[in-house]
Amino acid sequence: MSVDFATPTVSLVKTEPSPNSSATGPIQATAPVPMIEVENLDFFYGKSQALHGVSLKIPARQVTAFIGPSGCGKSTLLRCFNRMNDLIEGTRIGRGHIKIQGIDIYDPSVDVIALRRQVGMVFQKSNPFPKSIYQNISYGLELQGVKDKARLDAVVEKSLRGAALWDEVKDRLHTSALGLSGGQQQRLCIARAIAVEPAVILMDEPCSALDPIATSKVEELIQELKKQFTIVIVTHSMQQAGRCSDKTAFFYLGKLIEMDVTQKVFTKPAQQQTEDYITGRFG
Amino acid sequence: MQTSEHNQALSSALKGKARLRVLGLTFDDVVRYFFGGNAAVAVVVLALILVFLLKEGAGFFGQNRTNIQVYRKAGLEYVDMMRAPLEEFSSLTRTLNDVRLKRFRALLAEGRDTDGANEALKEYDDFATAFGAAASEARGVVSDITEVATAVKTRAQVSADREDEREMLLKGGKAEQAAALKVDVVDYEKEIKLITGVAPAWKAAVTEMQEKLRGAVSVARGADWGKGDKELAKVLVKTENFLSVLPKADARMAAWRWDEPVPLSRSVTAFLFGREWLTASFWQDWYGILPLVSGSLLVSLIAMAIAVPFAVSAAIYISEVATPGEKSFIKPYIEFISAIPSVVLGFFGIAVLGTALRSLSQVEWLNWVPGFPMSERLNALTAGCLLAFTSIPTIFSLAEDAITNVPKHFKEASFALGATRFQTLVRVLIPASLSGIISAILLGFGRVIGETMVVLLCAGNRIAIPDFTQGIGMLYEPVHTMTGIIAQEMGEVAQGSIHYRALFMVGIILFLVSLLINFVAQRVVRRYRISIG
Ligand SMILES: Nc1ncnc2c1ncn2[C@@H]1O[C@H](COP(=O)(O)OP(=O)(O)O)[C@@H](O)[C@H]1O
Ligand SMILES: [Mg+2]
Repeated sequence: MSVDFATPTVSLVKTEPSPNSSATGPIQATAPVPMIEVENLDFFYGKSQALHGVSLKIPARQVTAFIGPSGCGKSTLLRCFNRMNDLIEGTRIGRGHIKIQGIDIYDPSVDVIALRRQVGMVFQKSNPFPKSIYQNISYGLELQGVKDKARLDAVVEKSLRGAALWDEVKDRLHTSALGLSGGQQQRLCIARAIAVEPAVILMDEPCSALDPIATSKVEELIQELKKQFTIVIVTHSMQQAGRCSDKTAFFYLGKLIEMDVTQKVFTKPAQQQTEDYITGRFG
Repeated sequence: MQTSEHNQALSSALKGKARLRVLGLTFDDVVRYFFGGNAAVAVVVLALILVFLLKEGAGFFGQNRTNIQVYRKAGLEYVDMMRAPLEEFSSLTRTLNDVRLKRFRALLAEGRDTDGANEALKEYDDFATAFGAAASEARGVVSDITEVATAVKTRAQVSADREDEREMLLKGGKAEQAAALKVDVVDYEKEIKLITGVAPAWKAAVTEMQEKLRGAVSVARGADWGKGDKELAKVLVKTENFLSVLPKADARMAAWRWDEPVPLSRSVTAFLFGREWLTASFWQDWYGILPLVSGSLLVSLIAMAIAVPFAVSAAIYISEVATPGEKSFIKPYIEFISAIPSVVLGFFGIAVLGTALRSLSQVEWLNWVPGFPMSERLNALTAGCLLAFTSIPTIFSLAEDAITNVPKHFKEASFALGATRFQTLVRVLIPASLSGIISAILLGFGRVIGETMVVLLCAGNRIAIPDFTQGIGMLYEPVHTMTGIIAQEMGEVAQGSIHYRALFMVGIILFLVSLLINFVAQRVVRRYRISIG
């Protein structure tokens, strides 16, 4: 069973990759390279350590859920994948690596801008720009210098269809995005993220501010999107993790406790702490 | 049992029996009345100030009408119809002098000595002399009649003053003294006959002037020395225009009536659109606000042109680029500027900046800058530079707030899509904070237009509308401002006089302008809140 990787449209690396880099080599059919690979990661906010020796592999074109009590470091890890933590003063990686498609994204030669185009993000609070619906979607492409109106039109339509929003907004593309409902805004943010055709989409509790109906729409969407994208989702809701993820990772106090196929984590967890959390004995 | 006790406690709490009361008021009431009272005092004080301003200013228009009425009755208006073309003519002769100076310089540059140059310009000089002499007859007529009109006006004023005095005496119960006061009643009709009687002489003088000027113009056109001089040609065309317009004054003079009443609207337009602010003049006082408004605007616009780029880019830098260390240094530093007393700034402007700017303008290789070298040390530019300085802290602080207050998640969303810092700034942060920045600029503008000390000390205080035909050179002209004139003249005028009330009217206009700016700024901010959501 071979996995077809979404090949990046933009190389993450500014300079030529070194000849011994395995990323450019042929992909072995038997042992697919995981999309994201975290090795022994320590992460610090100034002096306080938020992640302790985390190692995990995130498979391509599947949904991986991060669960765990508040403050256990789920968001922190997620934001390491597109280096959003760089924006916070005083953050650093103490030890370990994160590789995406085999490339160490914290290597000094990596172009952060190109990385973020490959690794999109959807935030907890929906955050469309105070611009029109159309401009929200075209923003990412315009950043890359795309000016061709026909191409922008096509991408806007494709992305909105991809985010199951097209039929609801096609008649008011040029009105403010802030006029949409909460659920629509969140799907707009997803459309905005997929417009630049990333390989990975990170979602940090995307449904925590949505009502049940909007939530189920986003969950359906996630099932659709995983055919094309690798998805990592942080969630507080056990049911959500159960419903829409293929793999689940449980974190506690900055450590990865266990990670396995979702069904297994929920029915036969290997660790006592996982079982306690899932059954609601602590939280 | 327990439930009923509980219920009792609840009901007594709801009825407020347990609360402390002073004079029948609860603590909450006291707090409410205290703050409410403070707010009410503020409202009342503001209203009182407004009422006072309006009360003092309102009398102006009536007084100004009387002022203009006397101008008409004493025949000054009539005489001005003759003075106006002569003044226009004077400006023509001045231009001729400029043309001569240019030619003279050109000749020197060709290598002639002074005598040689003067020799070469002999024909031109003959022409210019003849040109200037054309109006001598007309000038004589006007200067005689000017004296007559002035005398009538003075008598009219004296008799008006006496009249006032007599009324005061009568009110004070001193009837005898009042009766002893002799009031000289001016017979305007008789006096005006004297003035309008000059019309035939004036007509003759004008005809003579026209003939002589036509002669001079045709000489200049025909002569060799006049060929190819564009500026001279311009003067000649202007002269021909002048000649063709000249007869039109006759009709107006013939139609003029000394006893035609002046409508109140004339008094209002003379104030709002009057191009002259002329007080304590031997001839006629005018209270036209245009020179002051245009001076204020010119100075403020210069200030904004300098302050806005500095303040806004500093705000962008501080909120988006600066390291925390830079931030903690630059921000208080800029905000400290507003602690400098404006009189100190004005002093600096006189002692340092004005001189520095003028010597800069005299540097040889800066000659290409339009209007350089500047002739005055204190001018609109000097005051504008300093005003820019006073408005930078206001604009900077408010703009910085506006940019910093753009919700963080917009920025994150932009970065997550692969935007650079610059792209995020230009495409998200600035559009989202634009109305905040605009209102910061407007409030800065309001601050500048109301600033007094700096303009009073540094703007040069010449009451004249800046000459817009000068282009950039207009920036180096001395101007006077609405704030400056109030500060300068208020101390010297008699309370209740027309001049006093005119200053109040200027104050009211200034107040309205500031009010308008603040109102617009508030509207802009409200829109900004809505667009951010
Ligand atoms: N910007 C920050 N600065 C300092 N500490 C932070 C910051 N963000 C998160 N942390 C800390 O890192 C730990 C992990 O936080 P986070 O990853 O947000 O947890 P989760 O998303 O699992 O709730 C918490 O202890 C939190 O206090
Ligand atoms: Mg979180």
